[in-house]
Amino acid sequence: MKKKISLIVLATTLMATMVTACGGNSESSSSTGAAGSGETKTLRFATWDTGDALKIEQDIAKKFEAAHPGTKVQVEAYADGFDQKLAAGFGATNPPDVMYMWDFPTYHQSLEPLDSYSSNDKELNIEDFYPGLFNYGKIDGKLYGIPAGFTTRVVYYNKKLFDEGKVPYPKDGWTWKQFQDIAAKLSDKSKKQYGFGVRAENDTYDLQSFVWSNGSSFISDDGKTIEGFMNSKETAESIQMLGDMVKNGSAVLTGGKGQQSGDDIFKAGKIAMWESGIWPLESFKTAGIDVGTVEIPAFPGKPVKGVLAESALSIAKDSKQKDLAWEFVKFYVSNDSIKMRVADLPVRVSVVNELKKDQDPLYKPYYTMLERSSNTPAFLLNPKWNEVNRQLSAAVEAVMHGENAQEVLNQAVKDSERYLK
Amino acid sequence: MWSHFFKKVYHRFSIRSYFSIRTKLLFCFLIVTIIPLLSLGALNYYQSAIVINSQFGKYGENTVAQLDQQISSALNRMSQTTGTIYSYLLDPARGGLGDHVPTTYQEIMDKDDFEALLKSLKTDLTRGIYLITRSGYYYGENNLDVSKLNNIPAWQSITYSSKGPYWLGFYPMNHGMGDSDTEEPILGLAVRINNPAGTQHGSTILIEENAEVLLHMFHMFEEDTKAHLMITDSEGQPIYQSESPFTPNESDVVWNRTLTANGWKIEARLSSKAFYFSSSLIRYNTVLVAIVSCLLAFGLAYIFSSKFTARIRRLKDSMQKVSFGKLHTRTLVEGKDELGSLDTSFNRMVGGIQSLVEEVEQSERLKKEAELKAFHYQINPHLLFNTLNSIQWKARLQGAEDIRQMLYHLTMVLEGNLDISQELITLGRELRMIEHFLKIQEIRYGSAFSYEQTCGEELKPYLIPRMTLQPLFENIFFHGFEDGKGNISLSVQEEGEHLLLTLSDDGAGITEEKLRTLMLAKPESKPQGRGGLGVQNANQKFKLHFGQQYGLTVQSTKGEGTTIIIRWPKKEESPHGDNQDH
Repeated sequence: MKKKISLIVLATTLMATMVTACGGNSESSSSTGAAGSGETKTLRFATWDTGDALKIEQDIAKKFEAAHPGTKVQVEAYADGFDQKLAAGFGATNPPDVMYMWDFPTYHQSLEPLDSYSSNDKELNIEDFYPGLFNYGKIDGKLYGIPAGFTTRVVYYNKKLFDEGKVPYPKDGWTWKQFQDIAAKLSDKSKKQYGFGVRAENDTYDLQSFVWSNGSSFISDDGKTIEGFMNSKETAESIQMLGDMVKNGSAVLTGGKGQQSGDDIFKAGKIAMWESGIWPLESFKTAGIDVGTVEIPAFPGKPVKGVLAESALSIAKDSKQKDLAWEFVKFYVSNDSIKMRVADLPVRVSVVNELKKDQDPLYKPYYTMLERSSNTPAFLLNPKWNEVNRQLSAAVEAVMHGENAQEVLNQAVKDSERYLK
Repeated sequence: MWSHFFKKVYHRFSIRSYFSIRTKLLFCFLIVTIIPLLSLGALNYYQSAIVINSQFGKYGENTVAQLDQQISSALNRMSQTTGTIYSYLLDPARGGLGDHVPTTYQEIMDKDDFEALLKSLKTDLTRGIYLITRSGYYYGENNLDVSKLNNIPAWQSITYSSKGPYWLGFYPMNHGMGDSDTEEPILGLAVRINNPAGTQHGSTILIEENAEVLLHMFHMFEEDTKAHLMITDSEGQPIYQSESPFTPNESDVVWNRTLTANGWKIEARLSSKAFYFSSSLIRYNTVLVAIVSCLLAFGLAYIFSSKFTARIRRLKDSMQKVSFGKLHTRTLVEGKDELGSLDTSFNRMVGGIQSLVEEVEQSERLKKEAELKAFHYQINPHLLFNTLNSIQWKARLQGAEDIRQMLYHLTMVLEGNLDISQELITLGRELRMIEHFLKIQEIRYGSAFSYEQTCGEELKPYLIPRMTLQPLFENIFFHGFEDGKGNISLSVQEEGEHLLLTLSDDGAGITEEKLRTLMLAKPESKPQGRGGLGVQNANQKFKLHFGQQYGLTVQSTKGEGTTIIIRWPKKEESPHGDNQDH
C-alpha cells in the first residue's frame, strides 16, 4: 500500500513539473548564434563586376573551393563603389586578399609585388600570356598584377539595319569619313533610328584610341606636358567629330540623364553602329541582333591605334595569407578559368589558339586591335592624371552638348596646368 | 444504453458507498491526489501568468522602442544627408548649378562637383540621392527616370508650397531607368528647396534608402508578438500597416511611440486575446494536466482499491465457506504484506481445525468399532459359559468328578477373563481367580508344584487392574517350570499408602540379556518371543491406571528363579462402582 501511494505522489509531482515546464517555455526562446567557421580559411576577393560577369566569377570561386578543401572564397562585389571601398579597406589595413585592379599608379603602394611569385612558379607559365598585357601592371619595373582578362574596342554594327539601308558592311581599314557617311545614311529621325551612339559622359580613357589614331595624345610621352597635346588640333578634331555627329543628327546621345544606355539602344535595333569593348557582345547575341564587328576607322593616312582595357588580379600587401591568395590568382588565370570567362578576352595565347578565337570573324577585330594597342595610356604616364582627367571629362561632355572642342579643351588645359606643376 | 450504465453505476455506489471499503479508499485517494494537484496547478498558473504577462508587456514595449530607434536612426540619417545637400545648395557660391541640362564646360564642372558630393553621401543602404529641378533635369546617378516619379504614391501630393522635409514613406523601387526596377522596398524623403534668390528654388532633393531591414524588423515584430503594427505620419495618414486584417478594439493592448524625428506614430495593437494567449495556453495546459492526472489517480485508486478489497472479500468468502463446514477451503496467499500473513494464518487455522475434526472422527469411529466388537464378544461368552455349564452338568451326571472340577475352574477363570465391564477389580477377586487357575494347573500337572499365598484379609478389598496376575502365573508355568515342578510364593504387604506384591518362583529364571529387553521394549514394538508380553502388559496397566511411577520390577537369576515386585497405591472400590475412568 505504501508503495502505491508513493507512486501516485510521484506521478502527481511529475505532472506538476510538466505544468511548470509548459509555463517556462514561452519565456526562453533565445536563438543560438551560428557556429564558428572552425578551421576553414576565408579568402576575400573583391570585384567590380556585376550581373553575369559576377556570376562567372562566383562560379570560379566555387571551383577553387572544391579544389582546395577547407578554403572559402568570399566574393565581394563592390560594383560602383569599388574605388571607395578598396581605398577604405587599404586605409583600415583590412583589404580583400585578392582584388581586381587596373589603376596601378594609384594603388601600387598597397599591393604586393608579384615578380618573385610569377618567376618562381612554373605552373603560371608566364610565357603563355600576351606579352603586352604585363605593361599595364608594372610600376617602376615591378609587377603588381597578373592579367586576368582584357578587351580591345571595336565597332559593332547591326547587319539588319545595314541591309535595310542597302549599305555594304564596313571592312577593316575603313575611314572616319566612311563611318560618318554610313551613320548619316542609316539615321532616320522619324523612326528614332540613328547611325551611331555617342556617350553623353565618355570615359576619356576610351577616347585615346581616336586621339592616338589621329596622331595625337592627351599628354606628352614623358608625362609632363598637356599643353599642345590635350588641346592639340588633332585631339580637338577627333572629339569634335563626335559632337558634330550628335549635332547633325547622325548620332544620338546615350547614357546621360533620362537616356538609355548605348548597349540597350543597340539591342533595341535603334542604332546601326556602336563602339565598345567585348563586354556587351554576349547580350547582343542573346537579344537576337545579327551583329558584326569591325576595327576602329582610320584617319586618312594615319595608322589606327587601339586602347586596351585590362583587368588584372593583385594581392594586397596587408593580406595575411599571400600564398593562398597566389594560389587563387593562379587558379583564376588558368586555362579552365579563362574558358569560363566569356565576358572578356582570353589572356593566354594557348587558349586563343585552342578556341581559334582569332580565326572567328566576329572576334578577329579584337585581336587586330590588340596588335594596334602599343601606345601607353595617359594614366600610366602621370600619377596626377586623375585630377587632370576631371577637367578633360567635363570638356569632352561639353563638346557632346554642342560646345566647340578646341575652346573647351583649351579651357581644360588651362585649368589643369596647376596639377602638373 | 448510457442511461442504463449510469443507473447501474449509481446503483452500485448508492447501495455500497456506506459500507464498501473500496469506495472509501477511492475517495480517499482522489482527495489526496486532487487537492495538492489542483492547488499546485492553480498556483503555478497564476504565478506564471503574472510573470509572462508582465514580461510580454515589457517585451512588447521594448521591441516597439527598438523599432522607434531603428526607424529614427534611418530617418535622422536621411534628414542629415538632405540637410548637408540643402546647405550646400544654399551657398551663394554654388549659384552656377542650374536647373537645366548643363552644356557648357563650367556647368559640367559644377555638375561633376555636385554629383561627387552626392556620391560621397551614399551609404550601403542608399538607393539614390538626387536633386530634381523644376525643368525635370536632375543631378545624381544616371539611373533615375524622372517621368516615372509619379509611381511613388506620395510624390504627387508634394506641392510647390510644401516646405521642409516631406516623407514619402515606404514604396517599391519602381522609377529607375530602363529595366533597373528591382521592386525592392525603399524609404524616401523629399525636401523642397525654398530659396527664392537661388537657382534651385523649387527643386527637390530626393533621397531613397533600402528599407528591407526596417520592413524585416516590422515583420519580425509582427511574427514575434502577433501584434498589428501601424505607422502614421503626423497628419494621421498611414505610412505602414501590417498586412494581416485587424479590427481595432477597446480591449486591445496598445504600445505607442512617437518618433521625435518627424512625428510619425508607431502603434502596435494586440487583441487582448492574443496578448493573454500565452497565459491562457498555460491555463489550458494546467487544466488538461489536472484532468488527465485526476483520471489517472482515479484509475490507479480504482485498480488498487479493488485489488485491495478483492483480497479482503476473498478472505471473507473463504471464512463463510468454512463456516458452512467446507473445511478443505483454503484462501490464495498473495504477497507478504499484512493481508498475506492474515491469509496464511487463516489457512493454518482452518488446517488445524480440519485435522482436529478428522482426529475426533477417527477416534469416534474406533470407539464405535470397539463397542461393536465388545458387543460381539459379549454374545460369545454366553454361548461358551452355557456350553461349559452343560458339559459340567453332563460330567456330574456321568460321575466324572475331575472333568467337572476342571470345567468349573475353567469357567471361573474365563469369567474373570471375559468380564470386560470392569477394568479394576478387587485384589481378593484376582487372587481367587489365580486359585482357580492353579487348580486347573494342578489337575493338569498333578501336585508337582507348591503355592504359598500371604495376604491379609484387610488388603483384599483394594483394587488391582484386571488380568494382571494371571499372565505372570502363566509365564511361570510356561517358561519357568518344567512339567509344572516348582514353588511359587505370593505375598501382598501394606507399605503406607501403597501395596507391595511380591511374586517369586524357583524356576529357570531369565537371562540378563532377555531381562533388559523385556523391560526396555516398548509396548508398541513387536514382542520378541512369547515371554514378556504378560510382563509388559501388566506393567503398562499399572502405569496407565495409577501413574508412571508405579509398575513392576523383575529380578531374576538364570537357573535360580525369578522375583516380580509390583507396587501400586491403595485404592478402594468406590461405592458407586465407578472405576472406569483412567
